[in-house]
Amino acid sequence: MKAVILAAGEGKRLRPFTETMPKVMLPVANKPVLEHVLDALKNSGITEIILVVGYKKEVIMDYFKDYKEIKITYVVQDKQLGTAHALSKAENHINSSFIVIPGDNIIDRKSIAKLIQDTSEYCILIKEHPQPSKYGVVFIKDGKLKEIVEKPSEEIGRFISTGIYKLPKTIFKDIENFRLQGIYDLSSVIQNLIKQEKIINTILADSWMDIVYPWDLIHVNENMIRDVKSTIGGIIEKGVITKGDVLIGKETKIHSGCYIIGPVVIGEGCEIGPNACIFPSTTIGNNSIINPFTEIRNSVVMDDVHIGSNSFITHSIIARGTILRNHFSNIPGENTLEIEGEYKKVKNIGVMIGEDCTIESQVVAEPGIIIGRKCKIAPLKRLNKNIPSESKVM
Amino acid sequence: MCGIIGYIGFRNAKEVGIDCLKRLEYRGYDSAGISVIDKIQQVYKEVGEIKELEKKLPDIKGNISINHTRWATTGGVTKENAHPHLSTNKKIAIVHNGIIENFRKLKEQLIAKGYKFTSQTDSEVLAHLIEDNYKGDLEKAVFNALKQVEGYYAIVVTSSDEPDKIVGARKDSPLVIGVGDNENFLASDIPAFLKYTNRVIYLNDGELCSLTDKDVKVFDSNNNVVERNEDIIKWDFKDAEKSGFPHFMLKEIFDQKDTVAYVLRGRISEIDRKIEFHEKVENLLKSELDFINIVACGTSYYAGLVGKYLIEKLTGISVVVDLASEYRYFGPKKENSFVILITQSGETLDTLAALKEAKASGCKTLVITNVIGSSATRLSDSYVLTQSGPEIGVAATKTFTAQVITLFLIGLKIAFNQNKIGFDEVSKNILELKELPKIVRDALEKSPTILEIAKQIKHAKSVFFIGRGINYPLALEGALKLKEISYIHAEGFAAGELKHGPFALLTETTPVVAIATKDSTYDKILANIGEVKARGPTVLAIADDADTEIEKHADLVLRYTSHSELLSCIPIIVILQLLAYHVANLNGCSIDKPRNLAKSVTVE
Amino acid sequence: MKCVILAAGEGKRVHPLTYTRPKVMLPIANKPILEWNLKNAIDAGFKEFIFVVAYKSEMVRNYFGNGDKWGIKIGYINQGQALGTAHAIGMVEKFVNDFIVLSGDTIFGKQEIKAIAKNKNCIGIIKAENLKDYGTVEIKDKNILKIHEKMENPVTNIINAGIYHFDKKIFDYIRKTKKSIRGEYEITDSINMMLNDISLVSILLKEWKDIVYPWHLLDANEEILKKIVKKIKGNIEKNTTIKGNVVIGKNTTIRAGAYIEGPVIIGENSKIGPNCYIRPYTSIGNNCHVGNACEVKNSIIMDGTNVPHQNYVGDSILGQYCNLGAGTKVANLRLDKKNITILLNGEKVDTKRRKLGIIMGDNVQTGINSMMNVGTCVGNNVFLGPGVVLSGEIQPFSKFL
Repeated sequence: MKAVILAAGEGKRLRPFTETMPKVMLPVANKPVLEHVLDALKNSGITEIILVVGYKKEVIMDYFKDYKEIKITYVVQDKQLGTAHALSKAENHINSSFIVIPGDNIIDRKSIAKLIQDTSEYCILIKEHPQPSKYGVVFIKDGKLKEIVEKPSEEIGRFISTGIYKLPKTIFKDIENFRLQGIYDLSSVIQNLIKQEKIINTILADSWMDIVYPWDLIHVNENMIRDVKSTIGGIIEKGVITKGDVLIGKETKIHSGCYIIGPVVIGEGCEIGPNACIFPSTTIGNNSIINPFTEIRNSVVMDDVHIGSNSFITHSIIARGTILRNHFSNIPGENTLEIEGEYKKVKNIGVMIGEDCTIESQVVAEPGIIIGRKCKIAPLKRLNKNIPSESKVM
Repeated sequence: MCGIIGYIGFRNAKEVGIDCLKRLEYRGYDSAGISVIDKIQQVYKEVGEIKELEKKLPDIKGNISINHTRWATTGGVTKENAHPHLSTNKKIAIVHNGIIENFRKLKEQLIAKGYKFTSQTDSEVLAHLIEDNYKGDLEKAVFNALKQVEGYYAIVVTSSDEPDKIVGARKDSPLVIGVGDNENFLASDIPAFLKYTNRVIYLNDGELCSLTDKDVKVFDSNNNVVERNEDIIKWDFKDAEKSGFPHFMLKEIFDQKDTVAYVLRGRISEIDRKIEFHEKVENLLKSELDFINIVACGTSYYAGLVGKYLIEKLTGISVVVDLASEYRYFGPKKENSFVILITQSGETLDTLAALKEAKASGCKTLVITNVIGSSATRLSDSYVLTQSGPEIGVAATKTFTAQVITLFLIGLKIAFNQNKIGFDEVSKNILELKELPKIVRDALEKSPTILEIAKQIKHAKSVFFIGRGINYPLALEGALKLKEISYIHAEGFAAGELKHGPFALLTETTPVVAIATKDSTYDKILANIGEVKARGPTVLAIADDADTEIEKHADLVLRYTSHSELLSCIPIIVILQLLAYHVANLNGCSIDKPRNLAKSVTVE
Repeated sequence: MKCVILAAGEGKRVHPLTYTRPKVMLPIANKPILEWNLKNAIDAGFKEFIFVVAYKSEMVRNYFGNGDKWGIKIGYINQGQALGTAHAIGMVEKFVNDFIVLSGDTIFGKQEIKAIAKNKNCIGIIKAENLKDYGTVEIKDKNILKIHEKMENPVTNIINAGIYHFDKKIFDYIRKTKKSIRGEYEITDSINMMLNDISLVSILLKEWKDIVYPWHLLDANEEILKKIVKKIKGNIEKNTTIKGNVVIGKNTTIRAGAYIEGPVIIGENSKIGPNCYIRPYTSIGNNCHVGNACEVKNSIIMDGTNVPHQNYVGDSILGQYCNLGAGTKVANLRLDKKNITILLNGEKVDTKRRKLGIIMGDNVQTGINSMMNVGTCVGNNVFLGPGVVLSGEIQPFSKFL
């Protein structure tokens, strides 16, 4: 069976991280989200993937050119006009029933297998969720879908739609018909099909996560890192202690006195320490340098990052190419953040720094601060407000 | 130069032959041909790329084939001139890469004997010459024929009288044997047959070989059988895909955001504050060095010129950069001098010849190359790989920046060894090197701006590039890139030299690209820009993004970010590469296979 | 009739040993798995063989050559890419008529091969316990009904043993075979297609050793060593003790104080002793050195490896050309005596063994007094400095200083 993955979206709510890449390419446990999705699909019975790309598609196509586990065909959605429109681009490659998955959804293999094996014409994966109002809340009767209510204003229901469906080939005609009526998103199309008395079966998914806001990356990283292959490569000096599941990539050098408690993933060509502490569940990308006496916990550090000595980083995201000079620290805690006009309360969050920033010595960041790309921050600053991309804080 | 393939074995020889040939297309692509023996020699050849030939090929049965993709050197691009060439009795077929220098005399002699020629090429002579020497044994015939030939060659020959045998021979052109199971291959280049077997036997100059489907025999220049061991090739030459990019060259320009980091891998440690190469290289760099020679061709030569500035600045040692085609005949080859040869492919003929001359004169040789296992790595005392992955686009891009960075590292190490710089300097430079991916990404983001500027100069008749100091070779390289792929005449000049002649060429239709970094000669280059503008041309300046002066002087400005004086050359060349690319693309030129050029030049 | 042996596989689950050799070249009792199959097939009457190779094929060719050493003929076909068993078998079409084909990385007994050769159009089957790891076979009155994929709930308790007798007709079905879910062309799919038109008989096998994980090599090593007969060709000094069935190759020296309890096999040109203790079910290769105050037990030590001074190696596999520094020791038993779990390719596998030492690849150098914990997988070309304490899975070319 084929699967269509919708990976054309920008992910505006994930800025500044999506300024240089589509949201499906954000890394968790050192692999893009999309790669985690493909890995889960490859042994579940899916034989071919149609990848609908759009925003910054070269990043996706360049990364997956060597991916041999499963056949990938690319289709381009030039303008982001909704999920149903994205799906319609795959029409020529579909001959029978198929699965559609949003590319930023991390789903487990068993749930996909269940979806494939289900014999109903239409089927949707649903999930129990503590905060269903964040998503589309799903109402079920006799195991069949009755209604999807997008982002309800009150707390109702327990189940949400994952956005993952098994659909028949005829869906493309329906999408076209509804498009003429001004309906562009897939869940509305499904909603209307229910009104037309179509039966949509529901299956409970085992594990499912999606990435909507920047802090989701930390939570998803924590989950995915548990599955990581823990082998040790590179050069390990004397006096290095590693405990638990630790992956160290080749050509990485861990200097003496480092204390690494897994689950931790460290990429290739890095230099860590001496005397640095890396605590769970931290991911460090390739070619990054962690200087002596630095502590990092529960964070996502991407490629080419340079973290100065005596720094303390927790529950944070540091994007590619950023330089933090010595004595950088951030305070974890609670904050209410404004993302694209919505107010979100987040617990236990650190700092989120975009690509290619340079932050000088002894800077402190308060909980939940988001710093854009290419910012320059002078020494001894206290960051208590978001900073837009390309700013200078003197 | 051309690509040649021979196949004999249990598979369909036409399918395997064409499959392998496609991987040699970068060597030449103005025409292609194949001859399969199925009772007689079945020859098919066409002008154009291999896919043109493939369209016209019927289903041919047969287990022995010779195949050719051509880059014309003697004789124009026509179907008759394409290889394979047949002998007069149509039984012997040959494919050839190289130049037969005395072909005219041989042709006269053969015509006098009654042999009939159908092309204007030098290669065809070989077919008739072998027929003339043929007495039932193809190897002896080829051996005797080649004794009369002057020049250089890699040839593959078959005879329909002996349909179970392929004969190959080489002299100064590459030819490798691929040893298979129940099949054997001959090719100009290993990647051609790597999909089928990873066992190779390297033919040495002057040697001949005879292949059956089960057997490989190698003969030396006296026609005695020699024992030869197989080498196992470990690398996996995957055909790079263009991914989302319309051209390999654009993809490779963008690859530089990663390749500038890969070239550093395993060589520098930020925390240990050191630069370290492989032992052989280290020993060479520790030895007494009072004079350094850099030898290369084309873009690598310009990388050498940039390297000269870097190494002289860091070490104070005199560096002389020579073109390989000149150095091999006329260069100073002082015993014990240090010679750095740069060749992306490791097979460039002139550079290899220079390497051999340098070694013969007792020089210490170091090769900078991108291809592991290439001839250059096997011949030199030591080598440093640029680790940039395969470069498919004919115009060199990412290998240029990798070569410059490698020369920079070498300069730093020598300077450190000779106490000209200490740990702090090394540390500072390492940090600057580590910033290169970011700096290249910044330069790449300027691509849309560069496209706009390209629109304004795409109709130019000539473009001049000027720079001073380290920017002078960048000007040369920028001009070469533009020339190579857009076919617009372009020339680079040292900014101070314009007034000594080239000024005469400046008009409104000859834009000038001025590289204006804020170094000690900044004021001079501003003055040069003024002089140029007085004569009409549009001036495009490449300047630092902190430069606020430049707008007052130049008509158009492209900015780069750099935190390092010595490494500003990297973002500047990325901008010039993109400029050349966009101009060529706007003018509809064939970017990955520019007309008349081939990637690795193995003719002189 | 030719015997085709599939020898192309990498054997990812036998890492780190297969980083540097194909799976069929893993040695058991000092002979590669493929040689055991070759010998058994020769004893069953075969004189012409075709090896289908790919991964590190040069090791197979260099060892077996054209078969002269055994007085038989061996031809090779290079499969190129690992595209599945059907693809591999399909490559020999031009060279065979009626033929048997077997997986080179499973050891089949002489009687088994004879039985398969005698019956046209048959498949070997065997009863197994860990059914979830294999494709199970449905039979009716000795005829094959269907070969199933690996399943969570297997239908029968019989599995496909991996040995077949085909004729030229199989190639038509191979040509029609499509890629499986795993992306490979599988012979079981071809067979299932063929079963619609031609019937295949099942032959129940008795002797069958499948190697899936590295420690299975130790199991197979033990079984084969149980059958060896004493044969001493080397130089034995006075004051050595050799008990039970011990095979010692020529030019090997056993020095005074060596205490060898069979069944043990030691190759040629090796130096054993003085004063060392070699316990049962140990295979030591050619050009090895087991020196003073060393103890080796239930282990496989490959060619060119040195266990030279004050070492302990138990329940372990050491690759070729390794050198253990003085005092290097291996732990093979957990202090709480529980089953040993190994980290293989980054994933935890329960070996179901109480005793397991280390699995070490080729060219590893260990410093003096380095220590390796139970179940450590050491990749090839790893360098351990003095005093290092190692556990877990170590990638090739790493250094522990």
